[in-house]
Amino acid sequence: MSELPLDTHEIERFPAAGALSRFRPRTGTMEDWNAAYVRVEDYLRAHRIHNRLHQSRLIEQILERAAQRHEARPLITPTVFAAEETEALMDQWFADMLDERGQPHERIAVDGRLALLLSDGPRRWPYAFLDAGRIPPEFEQAMRAGVIRAGPDMAISSMVPRPIDLGPIPEAAGETMERMERWPILRTLFLWLVFASALAAIFYVTR
Amino acid sequence: MRLYLTDNMSARRLGRRRFLFFSTIFALTSIATWFMADLLWRGGLSGVELALLGLFVILFAHIAAGFCTALVGLYVINRGGDSSRIINTLPPDEELQLASTAIVMPVFNEDVSRVFEGLRVVYRSVQETKRLEHFDFFVLSDSNQPNQWIQEEVAWLELCKQVGGFGKIFYRKRRHSINKKAGNVADFLRRWGRRYRYMIVLDADSIMTGRALVQLVAMMERNQQVGIIQTAPRIVNGETLFARVQSFASRLYSPLFLAGLNYWQQHEGNYWGHNAVIRVQPFIDHCALPDLPGSEPFGGRILSHDFVEAALMRKAGWSVWLAGDIDGTYEEGPPTLIDSAKRDRRWCQGNMQHAWLLTARGFRAANRFHLLMGVMGYASSPLWLLFMMLCTIHVFAQVTSPMAATAPAEIGVYHLGQSGSGPTALALFVFTMVLLFLPKIVSVIVTIGRPEEAARFGGQGRLLVSALLETLISMLLAPINMMFNSKFVMFTLLGQGVSWVTQRRNTAGDGTDWREGIITHGGQTAFGLVWATCSYIISPLFYAWLSPVVVPLIASIPISILLSKVSLGRATRSLGLFLTPEEAAPPYELKRLQQNLSECYRHLPPIEPLRADYGLMQAVLDPYVNALHVALLRQRKPTEESREWFGQLRERLLRDGPAKFTLKEKMALMMDAESMIALHRDLWSCPAEDLAEWWRLAMRQYNVLTAAPTTALYR
Repeated sequence: MSELPLDTHEIERFPAAGALSRFRPRTGTMEDWNAAYVRVEDYLRAHRIHNRLHQSRLIEQILERAAQRHEARPLITPTVFAAEETEALMDQWFADMLDERGQPHERIAVDGRLALLLSDGPRRWPYAFLDAGRIPPEFEQAMRAGVIRAGPDMAISSMVPRPIDLGPIPEAAGETMERMERWPILRTLFLWLVFASALAAIFYVTR
Repeated sequence: MRLYLTDNMSARRLGRRRFLFFSTIFALTSIATWFMADLLWRGGLSGVELALLGLFVILFAHIAAGFCTALVGLYVINRGGDSSRIINTLPPDEELQLASTAIVMPVFNEDVSRVFEGLRVVYRSVQETKRLEHFDFFVLSDSNQPNQWIQEEVAWLELCKQVGGFGKIFYRKRRHSINKKAGNVADFLRRWGRRYRYMIVLDADSIMTGRALVQLVAMMERNQQVGIIQTAPRIVNGETLFARVQSFASRLYSPLFLAGLNYWQQHEGNYWGHNAVIRVQPFIDHCALPDLPGSEPFGGRILSHDFVEAALMRKAGWSVWLAGDIDGTYEEGPPTLIDSAKRDRRWCQGNMQHAWLLTARGFRAANRFHLLMGVMGYASSPLWLLFMMLCTIHVFAQVTSPMAATAPAEIGVYHLGQSGSGPTALALFVFTMVLLFLPKIVSVIVTIGRPEEAARFGGQGRLLVSALLETLISMLLAPINMMFNSKFVMFTLLGQGVSWVTQRRNTAGDGTDWREGIITHGGQTAFGLVWATCSYIISPLFYAWLSPVVVPLIASIPISILLSKVSLGRATRSLGLFLTPEEAAPPYELKRLQQNLSECYRHLPPIEPLRADYGLMQAVLDPYVNALHVALLRQRKPTEESREWFGQLRERLLRDGPAKFTLKEKMALMMDAESMIALHRDLWSCPAEDLAEWWRLAMRQYNVLTAAPTTALYR
């Protein structure tokens, strides 16, 4: 296991290492930071950020922040800090974009991701998501317009089953059936009786 | 005097029509009963003979009802159509008046691509009529499989994005699937029913053109006393030989029956559960269904709700019409005989339940007749079986009687009565055959007599060959279906329930495999073999009479397998056999559906290790799917106990993967918004070594090959 700081040769083994050439974490192992890198990369890819340059810039930014926090708490694996920093970066970006500052993470994250999905952001503006620079006004507009309604406003009605008067014969049969259901042995006896009667009838007509 | 349908038919005229229809059934049954009684009576009536006669009357009346419907249909068609049809109320040149209408599609673990591509086609078709503002679309899901549920959510969102359907196309997933389809529709009505004057119910495999939908709503607007208008959907998109034969038969023979039905039922028609428009408020007021006495399967919840809803609407004074002549209404049929039997298993229980309602107070006579025909549709099978078994016993008794030794040459007709009854027996046989086959023959003659119409079935020659082959296949299928239905009726009576199994509407591979065929039809084959052997021992001539019944039973396995072949379906199609007008010249909507679906099915499926729980995986792992899923869930405040339980479940899921989870546990987690948010967060922040291998694989593989998740509608 190599101890940090990483040398230039090792850094070049990272994908898109050029963008990370300044990344020098003071704590943690190379394997741990590699795992953190992979996790952030996977998560960005899950957001359909496929542009490698944009990915690398974001990963560097996130890992830098994670490395700073890791120095204070080196016993915690860098992946945790990297995930938390990714979440924080996204929350901040979504909150600014949707004007939801101060809201809990759950709400910001759900609203933000949905808005991004509805606006088709990662496909139409592949460099804009999480970018600290200027956001295209159309993207901003599309993000803010992104709301879904799974149903229209409710207009409650009462739909209560009314009993159907089945007539005397079915009513009597129903009561008998319900009684038989309470006494399963009666049903079994009835079935045996039907079966025995059928046998007896066949016996009789074939003699 | 109360007048119906814009005053164009008085009760008196309708009474005359019904008198004619039912009197013909009565007359035909009486004549046949006379012949049968004559055959049986010659030496006095024994107990078996009396039972045979009783069964014969019931079964013959059932056949005669079908025959008379077709006969009346022929009469109507020859006169150029019925003057009293609901579609005639539409003004030819005016713009049609519409009102707010919900198009609802209840779904349960269906092929998601098919459901949403179907909806896309319907939506686009309505859009093209430029009357879209009157319609809203609802997918009402009762799916209880995580994969289906998540696919539905994603497909709904994608469809809305692609067609600009937000605010027009809605998706609702019930947390608790109470009372199956009827409960699903009732739930919709309780929530949103008051927003709409009409609702059009579609099945998951239904397609209706925009024009047909507009016509339906306009007819309702035009006829304010009408509660339901039912269309007659054409069976389409069949690929297997079985599906194509069923589709061909339905398309060729149904016009006669539909015209005949409309002739006598008029405003007292039936509702078949889908491809129909319903006036919402009276439906809410009168059609909430109570439970039947006892418990399932014979009592309890009403499964086949449609007939009962029609009866309740009529009871409340609202008309129910059949619009058999509306074009642009389609559904799909089961691809194989086994799938058809599965569907029948479900329908059988529902129809048998209707026996409770035959004498319900306030129901109209026409509705009682519909209910009775529904019951007979299944009860007739065990009655036919019993009839033939009694015939076998009767012949056995004849053979072993002292008379058999003196007249061995006439033994062949003993099963129908005493010796010397040959001509009467033959006449009765021919009479029965005429009733069974004349509607088919007449349909073929009528169609062949119209060259343009015949061309839509592949031409006169091909139509004739197809009809002959269809008759042969239906003869082979009749005893097999009789055995299936007899079993279903017995199971229902003995209290064996039916689960709401999803019908297989698509054929992966080339149909039924031998294992499935043997398991399903093995009993029928054995029964047929025993029956054939016994009848041959009793009398070879009797065996010959019985062979149209026992031979298909013995051969039921290969028959079922052959009919399920897509390759045979395609081969017959390339020969121009069993061609329907919808196949020969597919309507634009069906073509579009096929094109879209073929693109959907080209998509790569998820890799095998992830496939079983792909829906759950997406809902946890994919940031967008997770957000969508959470947004669609109702937020609930959990108790401390449930919070703790969910916490343990989440920990287990990430540590061990979903393989050891029960369906109930997965669904519970997926219904808990708090858990879904936490799972997403925990998964992505958890060090790899603390995660199950399954999750590590999922994270590595996700979005590597495709830029979008593998779900319906991503193209």
